[in-house]
Amino acid sequence: MDKESGAGLNQGWGSEFSSETKTGPFGKGVWVDLLVMGAAFLLLVPIISLHRVTDFMIFCLFALSFDLMYGYMGRLSFGHLLYLGTGAYCCGLFIKYGSKNPLLAMVVGIAAACLLGMLMGLIVVRATGACFALMNLAFNHIGFFLVLSPLRGITNGEDGFGIHTESLWVLNPASKTSMFVSVLLCLLVAFYLLKRLTSSPYGILIRSIKEDETRVRFLGYNTYFYKWLTFVIASTVAGLAGTLTALNYRFVNPNVMDVHGNVGVIFACLIGGAGNLYGAIIGGVAYMMISNYIAIYTHRWEMFLGLSLLIIVFRFRKGIWGSVQSFLEYLRRPKEVPQAIGEGGTRG
Amino acid sequence: MIYTILYGFSIGAILYFISIGLSLTFGTMRVINFAHTLTYCIAVYMLITFSPLLKGSFIFSAALAILVVIPISYLIERFIIRRLYGESLDYTLIATFAITLMGVDSIKWIWGVVPHPFSDPIGTYVQIWDFTFPVYRIIIFLIALAIFFALELFFRKTIVGKIVVAALEDKDGVRCLGIRVDKYFSIMFILGSALAGLGGVLYAPISAIHPYMGLSVLLLAFAVVIVGGMGNLRGTFISALALGMVMAITARYWSQGAETMVFIVMAIVLFFRPIDI
Repeated sequence: MDKESGAGLNQGWGSEFSSETKTGPFGKGVWVDLLVMGAAFLLLVPIISLHRVTDFMIFCLFALSFDLMYGYMGRLSFGHLLYLGTGAYCCGLFIKYGSKNPLLAMVVGIAAACLLGMLMGLIVVRATGACFALMNLAFNHIGFFLVLSPLRGITNGEDGFGIHTESLWVLNPASKTSMFVSVLLCLLVAFYLLKRLTSSPYGILIRSIKEDETRVRFLGYNTYFYKWLTFVIASTVAGLAGTLTALNYRFVNPNVMDVHGNVGVIFACLIGGAGNLYGAIIGGVAYMMISNYIAIYTHRWEMFLGLSLLIIVFRFRKGIWGSVQSFLEYLRRPKEVPQAIGEGGTRG
Repeated sequence: MIYTILYGFSIGAILYFISIGLSLTFGTMRVINFAHTLTYCIAVYMLITFSPLLKGSFIFSAALAILVVIPISYLIERFIIRRLYGESLDYTLIATFAITLMGVDSIKWIWGVVPHPFSDPIGTYVQIWDFTFPVYRIIIFLIALAIFFALELFFRKTIVGKIVVAALEDKDGVRCLGIRVDKYFSIMFILGSALAGLGGVLYAPISAIHPYMGLSVLLLAFAVVIVGGMGNLRGTFISALALGMVMAITARYWSQGAETMVFIVMAIVLFFRPIDI
């Protein structure tokens, strides 16, 4: 099939189903995208403060993990913060009670989120649709409650606890610049890996599961396993975001896994354009901008968030990235006439 | 232990009022309505607004609060829910959640964030053998029983109820008979919202009133609907009472764990009987 034609329309809101290729929006391979993304975040630093951009990038990482599950596999979860919180808490607790090595703590946090994802995945992946969303919500609620009340002895309840680590090469949580660099590195590495993953046959498979799971099962794939795998990967990346949150703030409290926080990441994925890693990044930045700056101008930012969610659902489903893509398609169309045939070919 | 059972019944009754609307909305329209407990919350705030105006008459202010909820729920149904028929569940979840966000924010805007106290409107106790029971909780349970039988009658004897029950089974079949299903769905939606409002005004005196009260109850109501079966009216009644009892018994031994226990029950039920929606 024609690789270039597939790259354009992959937001897959049920309309077009095409395979995502290894080339990005600039058509030069994923390395260019990584460079552009890094440069874009560096450019944001003078405009916003350094600390905030680090925050933005952590949220983008979380949005990426959510998008893998929601945008690509079509499973909306209302409790993805559980895995971020697990990462943050395990990383923090390891530093508090174990070693002061930040890298080791990150590994522990990520492993904990991955393990929890494996365990919970066995249960929740059996459900679909609203049931999946609500089960995740229930588990998130249980997790929030656990750190708040029964584990109060070690997590210090709602007050949270501070984290003091030693510095390790580039990873020095006490320095803002060092945190910025390490978070940027983590984001780029995670983006690269997810990009490779979603453009592999596996990526096509999970998008097929989104379109029609029964047919994928007819083809002989064990969809249960692939859904479980995606859930585990998504929770692992969320755990990475969680460990970075803990190290960045040098403080952990139950707010990191507050159930109501989940709406933010859903909003980010939708406004950026679900089912696309670039969309997740753009949506993450857009959401953080809105939640950080609207609050300065008006107290009614929840109202604003609700209104924009309604507008997105009823009028603007493609999101920012989807609109950019359709615009690019529109610009290219006169030159590439036989595109429709190429699209048909991928489907057959 | 007797107190625990009574508390369980009264909490179960409240849960029943709230979850019946959710169950109906899902069973007929296939819309998961996150905005459902918004009407519950609005009714409570209306109650505390009307109560001083009507010189503390609980019954009149409660009735007025429920009346105010009806047009609001009609507006929600007409302009949001009706556009979501046949949409994928993700969009309905997100759109109705957006309404909840806006509603909660308006409540914060109008009434402020500070929790309001509201005392037991009856405040008397009845003595049976050696035990003293608060009359109010007994009345809540009796109202729940009355509503349950009224709804049973409504769905069996009236034509509207019969149409809705038929639509729960097969929506397209009913539409083929030339009946405008949407009209009956909106009646059901308003009925469900009014019942949620009733649950709200009855629960207000025995709980704290704050803008986010709807969200915490919503999760419990979802658990009730999932355990009882989506669109199953009797199942909702039984599961509401059962989960209310679970909450009361857990709260007796471990007060913070009450809500969590409900979710654990829900997870167990879902594990053994996944619902395909």
